[in-house]
Amino acid sequence: MSHTIFERAGGFASVRRIVSAFYDRVLESEMLQGYFVNTDFATLIDHQTKFIASMMGGPASFPDEVIRRAHLGLGITPREFREMADILRDTLLDHGVIASDAEQVHAEVLKREPLIVARAA
Amino acid sequence: MNHLSSPGLPDGRTEVASEVQSVLGLAQGLATGLALIDPADWTVKAENAAFTRWFPVDPARPGAITERLRGVDLDRVRERLASAPSFAFETEVRRGARSAFLSILVRNVEFGGQTLMLAECQDVTKLRQSEQMMDSYSRMMEKNARELQKQKERVEKLLLNIMPRSVYEELKDFGTTTPRRFDSASVLMLDFVGFSEMAVQADPGTVVAELNDIFTSFDRIVETFGCERIKTIGDAYVAVAGLPEPEGEDTVNLARAALRMRRYLERRNSAHQTAWVARIGIATGTVIGSLVGIQKYVYDIFGPAVNLAARLEHHSQPAEITICADTNDLVRDEFVTRDIGVHDIKGFGRRQIHTLVGELQRTW
Repeated sequence: MSHTIFERAGGFASVRRIVSAFYDRVLESEMLQGYFVNTDFATLIDHQTKFIASMMGGPASFPDEVIRRAHLGLGITPREFREMADILRDTLLDHGVIASDAEQVHAEVLKREPLIVARAA
Repeated sequence: MNHLSSPGLPDGRTEVASEVQSVLGLAQGLATGLALIDPADWTVKAENAAFTRWFPVDPARPGAITERLRGVDLDRVRERLASAPSFAFETEVRRGARSAFLSILVRNVEFGGQTLMLAECQDVTKLRQSEQMMDSYSRMMEKNARELQKQKERVEKLLLNIMPRSVYEELKDFGTTTPRRFDSASVLMLDFVGFSEMAVQADPGTVVAELNDIFTSFDRIVETFGCERIKTIGDAYVAVAGLPEPEGEDTVNLARAALRMRRYLERRNSAHQTAWVARIGIATGTVIGSLVGIQKYVYDIFGPAVNLAARLEHHSQPAEITICADTNDLVRDEFVTRDIGVHDIKGFGRRQIHTLVGELQRTW
C-alpha cells in the first residue's frame, strides 16, 4: 500500500483532475463563490493545488500560519467552512479516492477550522 | 436577445445579414463562440449563443462590440488582418468569481462584396488551469528537491566524519566497500598520561569537555596536514597518513601534525589549570583500511603498523613522540630525530626506535 493518500490517489496526474473539479465546484457554490470574485485565477489555482496536495500528504507543505494569514479578515462562517470541506470530500469520492482516504482528508481539513473561520468578536 | 438576428444593422445590409444568419443559425448549439463583425463600425452582424455568453450585450449600446470586448485591442486586430488572412490571440473574461480563458481566431471573410471579420472563440480555461497547476506542482517539486539536496549534503557531511571520501564514494556507488591494503601508510597513536586518574579525581564533565576541546583542535591540525582522523577511543586519538590515497609526503605530514599537537598542548597547559600531557607513537608499514559494520558504519584500520604505533606510544615518555625505524627513514631529512636504541617491542621483537624532536631549522 502506498504511503500517502496523494500517492494512493494516483499522484499528481489524478490530483490535477481533483483540483480542477474542486475549483469548478467551489465557484459553482453560491455560498462560496462570493469570496473569490476578486481573486486572481493563477493565485487561486496555485493555492488550491498546494492545499489539496498538502491535505493528501503530497509534496506540499501548507504551514498553519500561512493558512491563517490567507483567511484573516475574510469573515468565513463555520457553515461556509464546512461546505468547502464537504465539497472537497465529495470531489475526492467522485474521483475514485477510497472512502477512508476521503474521510481522512476531510478530517485533516476540519482540523484547520480555527485557522480559517473568523472568530466571533 | 435573438441570436439569429443582428440588431442595429443599417437597412442597406439586410441581404448580407440574412445570409450570415443562415450560416450562424447552424452554429447556435456549438461550444465554439462565433461572431461576424463589421470592422468598419464594429457592429456585430450575427453571433451564436456561446459568443453572447462570453461577451454579454451592453443594453445601452446593443450594436457595438467595442464595449463587450473590453480588454481586446481591436485596432491591433484590424491592423494585423490588413496584412494577414487571420490573427489569433487569447483573452481572459470574467464572470463573477470565474475566469474563462478564450483563444480567439479572427479571419477576414467575404459576404456580398463586404469584408467582415469572423471571430471563433474556443474555451481554453481547462488548459490554462492545467498549466497553472503544473507550474504550482513543479515549484513544489523544485522546492522539495532543494530540501532533499540540503538533507543529502547534511548526511554526506556526517558520513564523511566517519569515513574518508573515497570510501564514502565507493559505498554510495556500490552499496558496499572492499577492504584495502596500504603497504606504506603511517599511523599516529596518542593518549594522555594519567587520564584515568584525572577523570576520577576531577569533575568528569569538565574533563570530558576539555578532552573534546583538545580533540577538536587535533582534528583541525590533522586536517591541515592532509591526514585523516580515524577514531578516538576514550582518551586515545588515532590518525593516519597515506590512506585512502597516498600523497607522497604523508609521513612527513603526519610528523608535522604530531609536533603541532604537542605544541598545542604545551601552549594550552601554560594557560589552563589542568595539564594534559600526551604520549605519541608513529609507525610506518602495512595497514588495512575497511568499513566495519552494516547499520553502524565505522571506518577502521588494522595491521602491523597500527599495532606497532600503539606499542611505540606506550613506550613513549610523557610529551615525547616515539617513531619506528621506517618512519625515521622517511622523515629524517626534514626533522631532528634522536636514536634511542634497540628495544624489545611486544609482538615485534627487538626494534631500533627513535624520538621525533622537532623540525630541522634550515639556514639557507
